[in-house]
Amino acid sequence: MTITGTAPQLSDRVLAELTDALGGEYVLTSKTARYNRARVPAPFPVHRWRERVPDLVVMPGSAEEVAEVVRIANAHRIPIVPRDGGTGLTDGAVPERRGIVVDVKRMNDIKEIDLDNRTCTVGTGINMLKLNEVLGTHGLIYPDDPASYPCSLVGGRIGTSGWSLVGSRFGHTRDLVLSFELVLPTGKLIRVGDGGGRKVSKSSSGYQLKHLFMGHQGTLGIATEATLKLYPKPEAEFSPFWAFSDFDSAYRCVGELARAGVATFAGAVLFDEWKVDYLRRDDEAYIPQPADVRALVCAVAYGNDDEVRAGGRRLLRIARDAGARYLGDEISHGDWAARHDRYATPLHGRTLAGQVAPMSWHCEDAAVNYTNLPAVRREWHAIVARLRDKHPIFDDWGMFFYTSADTGVDYLTEIDVGIWEQELDDAAWAAWVDAKRDIAAVALNHGGSISACHGSCREGEVDLVPLELGGGYDVMLQVKKALDPNNIMNPGKYGLQRAYEEAP
Amino acid sequence: MSAYRYDEQHTPPPARQVTDVAVERFEHIFEVDPKLMTVHVAQQLFPNWDTLRIAASRGDHLEWMHRHWATEVVSGQELLDELDAGDGGR
Repeated sequence: MTITGTAPQLSDRVLAELTDALGGEYVLTSKTARYNRARVPAPFPVHRWRERVPDLVVMPGSAEEVAEVVRIANAHRIPIVPRDGGTGLTDGAVPERRGIVVDVKRMNDIKEIDLDNRTCTVGTGINMLKLNEVLGTHGLIYPDDPASYPCSLVGGRIGTSGWSLVGSRFGHTRDLVLSFELVLPTGKLIRVGDGGGRKVSKSSSGYQLKHLFMGHQGTLGIATEATLKLYPKPEAEFSPFWAFSDFDSAYRCVGELARAGVATFAGAVLFDEWKVDYLRRDDEAYIPQPADVRALVCAVAYGNDDEVRAGGRRLLRIARDAGARYLGDEISHGDWAARHDRYATPLHGRTLAGQVAPMSWHCEDAAVNYTNLPAVRREWHAIVARLRDKHPIFDDWGMFFYTSADTGVDYLTEIDVGIWEQELDDAAWAAWVDAKRDIAAVALNHGGSISACHGSCREGEVDLVPLELGGGYDVMLQVKKALDPNNIMNPGKYGLQRAYEEAP
Repeated sequence: MSAYRYDEQHTPPPARQVTDVAVERFEHIFEVDPKLMTVHVAQQLFPNWDTLRIAASRGDHLEWMHRHWATEVVSGQELLDELDAGDGGR
């Protein structure tokens, strides 16, 4: 017998088992609960929203309850999708085959703060900003800093192997999470880290499973608890923004800043002409800038006051010698502070006639080496220009290039595209998917990776993941089938259903 | 009394054209030129106090974010002045 109306695909028996495991209060079947967990911020054809709606939502309060939910789903062969903040941009938290969404937000407790070893252990439903409000009282910080900092959660950062704005200084999620507890697709609870110790930062014992269970977009399990590496809360922050009259000068400058070896260097960003044009529409810092401001660079440093000042002088000298014009303290301070919270930015697209249209923000990213940035930039803008010629519901919002490491080897390379979601029909969406595939192909052709930050399991780019990973993708298929024999954990993502298809 | 306050708050200062796409009514508060918001979106009407409150709240939020991440924000201008005076940078 099936339930109609609220949870149409699941049987009364399954619902009863879940209610027994969690209590009825935490088994949500209402339309509101399900539709609100059907999408992520990345634009999609909203007329197809109902295709992504789960049958129900559960909110477990412990690892044991998560394990019980997974065991029930596995026994009944029901798809299960982990969801943390739901801020990821590659649809990891989107249920593509209905089933059960496991929302971990109740597991948001701070279980331990170890002041001597500089670690804390938390439930994965905690948000980094809220965690840092507590850690700040101890003079500590957990410096994992996505653009969704106020709203993303530790567990989602693990599931997506998140990229951090200050990763060039402190590392990214993979570096900052020392170990974590995980419910496997069969319901078994394990802990992975560097070796077996919960608080070990470097081990040579056994396989390095921590990395295997990061960035899987919910296809290999659900993280329930994490032990995190902590740093002293920085005494000082330094975030100069500079203007350039041409892209090439700005490009040379950002390379010199990133290669300078400044110990407090936390990142450098290059913004191109399209991005500056976009900022001139709406951004209070750039609307009044003179016309010869055509490209921007910023650098960021964190650390002890004396070290930040010494490094800051060096960065300023490098920029000055490269022909940079300092934009002043007000813009520098304001713009940097706003970058911790980009999901709150209001978005205005423009039609071909220049009229404002309510567009949503799609950011296509890749990991690209410094020397390949100019070529990738040219090719990506050309792809989006062709798309906009055919479908003016798309709008090129420019590109930026952000250091991923402290040596300047590679950059999170991103093109932001405004998409008028309400106007997206099937033809325009198909054209966008083709463009995404083309964008990913350019990154691969230039020796990069399809994504530095957002993941690569959305329509379009996902088709090229086997090409990018080669024999490694075959290993992914084997791992998936070994750990998730019934393909219940976030099925449909990364093309992993191939693992279950009969060989011809 | 209330009618007078309503009129006062709903009569924004005259717009100064800042660029071909933006106007300024209050100092340092820029708005998209209303003539660009006539077809696909409608501009919301805010009383003056609310416009100023929103702008001030944004400033408060950014200040909070600085304090959240570090104890102190180092002035680039101060360091540049030191460089220009020839006492640092290498």
